[in-house]
Amino acid sequence: MSILQVSALVAGYEPGLSIVKGASMHAAEAEIVVILGPNGAGKSSFIKAIAGLVPISGGQVLLDGRDITMVPAHLKIRQGLAFVPQTENIFPLMTVEENLHVAGGILPRPEVAPRIAEMFDTFPDLARQRALMAGSLSGGQRQMLAVARALIVRPRVLMLDEPSAGLSPKLVEQVFAQLSAIRQAGLTIVLVEQNARAALAIGDRAYVLVEGREAHEGPAKTLWDNPLIAELYLGHRKEAS
Amino acid sequence: MIDLLGYGAFFTSTALIFGLIALGLNLQWGLTGLFNVGIAGFVAIGAYSSAILTTPDAADRVGGFGWPILAGWLAAACITALAAAFTGYATLRLKSDYLAITTFGVAVVVQLVALNAQGLTGGPFGVAFIPRPFASLQEHAVAFNFANLAVIASVVLATYLALERLSRSPWGRVLRALREDERAATALGKSAQSYRIQAFAVGGAVMGLAGAVQAHFIGFIAPDNYLPTLTFQVWAMLMVGGSGSNRGAILGAIVVWAIWVGSGSFTAAIVPSDLQARAASLQIVAIGVMLCLILLWRPQGFFGAGRKK
Amino acid sequence: MNLQFLLDGLIAGSMIGLGAIGVTLTYSILRFSNFAHGDFMAWGAYAALAVVGAIGGSLPMAPLSFGWPLLLAMVVAMGLTALLALTLDWLLFARLRARGQSIIVVMASFGASMALRSLLEFMFTSRPTYFSRAIQIAQPVGFGIRVTADQVALLLLTLALVVGMHLFMQRSQRGREMRAYSQNPALARVVGIDVDKVVRATWIIGAALACASGVMVGVLVQIRPLMGLDLLLPIFAAAILGGIGSVPGAVLGGLIIGLSEAAAVQFVGAEWRAAVAFVILMAVLLVRPMGLFGVAER
Repeated sequence: MSILQVSALVAGYEPGLSIVKGASMHAAEAEIVVILGPNGAGKSSFIKAIAGLVPISGGQVLLDGRDITMVPAHLKIRQGLAFVPQTENIFPLMTVEENLHVAGGILPRPEVAPRIAEMFDTFPDLARQRALMAGSLSGGQRQMLAVARALIVRPRVLMLDEPSAGLSPKLVEQVFAQLSAIRQAGLTIVLVEQNARAALAIGDRAYVLVEGREAHEGPAKTLWDNPLIAELYLGHRKEAS
Repeated sequence: MIDLLGYGAFFTSTALIFGLIALGLNLQWGLTGLFNVGIAGFVAIGAYSSAILTTPDAADRVGGFGWPILAGWLAAACITALAAAFTGYATLRLKSDYLAITTFGVAVVVQLVALNAQGLTGGPFGVAFIPRPFASLQEHAVAFNFANLAVIASVVLATYLALERLSRSPWGRVLRALREDERAATALGKSAQSYRIQAFAVGGAVMGLAGAVQAHFIGFIAPDNYLPTLTFQVWAMLMVGGSGSNRGAILGAIVVWAIWVGSGSFTAAIVPSDLQARAASLQIVAIGVMLCLILLWRPQGFFGAGRKK
Repeated sequence: MNLQFLLDGLIAGSMIGLGAIGVTLTYSILRFSNFAHGDFMAWGAYAALAVVGAIGGSLPMAPLSFGWPLLLAMVVAMGLTALLALTLDWLLFARLRARGQSIIVVMASFGASMALRSLLEFMFTSRPTYFSRAIQIAQPVGFGIRVTADQVALLLLTLALVVGMHLFMQRSQRGREMRAYSQNPALARVVGIDVDKVVRATWIIGAALACASGVMVGVLVQIRPLMGLDLLLPIFAAAILGGIGSVPGAVLGGLIIGLSEAAAVQFVGAEWRAAVAFVILMAVLLVRPMGLFGVAER
């Protein structure tokens, strides 16, 4: 049974001007689902709408069978749906530890400190920088902090918007290896990516979003051979952006 | 009957001068989106400039330049424009709120200078014997009032026409674009800032001119004429009239001034004299509440063409 | 040289600083400069006056001019002022904020300020009043400085409020949430921060501190409907000088402005006091608009 079920979602910043036009997807327990698509396909808006940051005007989001379509963003995390935005995904003027602390606020108070300690165990790099301002971290470390900050509340589903953006190939590998490891622990991951090759390498299933709607769905391993992907990513056909 | 005619002319003149200030504010706010909370300060700069330059020699302050009235008005507009340009230069590259805070400060400081720089402004006693247009007609009250009304009406009309032209010119279109589209503003960068400074300065010039016209209409000015209430009244006028519309600015000024004067004499008639000061503050409360209600329910005002958000 | 102005400046600076904390928080969290903040001070002072009147008597604790009734009244008045701020937000600011044009909110605060101030004039007239008419004897403390017991008590109270406020922002979850929200509102929501609670906390803290500051002005100087308006420019200048969003910056900014004002009174003339804040404001805007502890614009 799928833990996250999104059906025919319509969303956009301004009424009557939807960017997401009836897109659907689902993700099963401990699955890594990759969402691909050309620039302007609405991938980012799709995932933000699921997270509650873009107003939804139609469709449905079910988390573990519960309808969370209209649940405001700050309550979605309490339901177990975590989101890591692409940019500005940390609080730059707070220390690494404070970043984790403020996110841990929705946990029962006695659990916060042990959870922070656990996160520092999982991400030893962050532990070394705990007292530094998050704004002074390198790109890779920021991404790590953003992931740790999302994980601290033990979500059921972790959604990430282009975690590889702006990172060197080596760091991309590291971040994706980290995500693979997180999945091993039973977490469901939904990944919007521009870097299709790296994402498909760790993904189980993938969707291709075109013009606000899913155009293709299939196993990640075989998707790379799909002619549609070749068209979208190798430039045989120009997509409107 | 004659009294009534004379009073009608006097009332309309006063309201039109407010309309002139509101025209300046409309260029700053309605067209360009610049928030000025120091209107009283800019009006005062214009009033004092012209007053000092045109009055005959006075014993205890700088003066005796004896300029003609028109030269005084022109100088008032220029000096106020400079003050506004400097205010804009210091703040317009920063957050929009900083302009608001700074203009508020300008009004405070101008008030302070008017009160304390006795050698320049006459201090709390102000400047008297400001030459009035058509002073020779003063014996015939009605003729005098109407002659002044004609002068003021022509100044307002000329300013109105000039501002209408400006707002339709390429210059005005740039200002509107800057207001509507933050990206256009960012793309223009430094020159966007310079456009905004120009708009703020021109709006300031109109306010300064209005201050000067008023000073010569009354013949006497004092610091008390330029309290924050003035700023507040003009804002209410523009908001009632509809920001973005020059016609609305003038109509709003007449309507709000009528309400102000009407409610003033109404309370004066029914409230015992020892409570009049209190009743006057209720008037301001009412205007403040009205301003907030307009912002909430009818941000386009009542007479304006209504601009798209 | 007479050093008395240092103490006068310190006291004026404390009151400005307490007000500036509220302004800086409102600006960095609610994203608008609240022109009605000064009027929260005046309303707070009058509220305390009314409560003192209701309790009856001031029971001064010698050598102070006031006693526990005033302290109790101040706490009640802080709550009332917070209630006023929350009501105003609910009626006016929240609705305009939802439309997303922050400068409209500034204008509304300007209108509200005028209405609030005039309402005080209507209820209490513009004549100044006092918590106590007792004359306090200033004791010499060396270097030619004389200080009254009230002044010492209120300086200590300011210190306690500022330290408490700093600890709250740094150590409490709500304080962290407020800082997080001011740095990135969208991310704050993603992280599970309830915006409504942050907004409420901001108003309550800002209004309560404004009230405390107003009561202090009332004890040390006098209570007038215009007292808040007169302090508004120094408060804004202090918040910008300290760096918008920074609580310690607001306090330091307040002290600098207070001391400069006192110095101006001593060396230039009391009538120019109100210009000092403007001069400092212009200097900051021209030279270092981010302020002492501010960070560059995002």
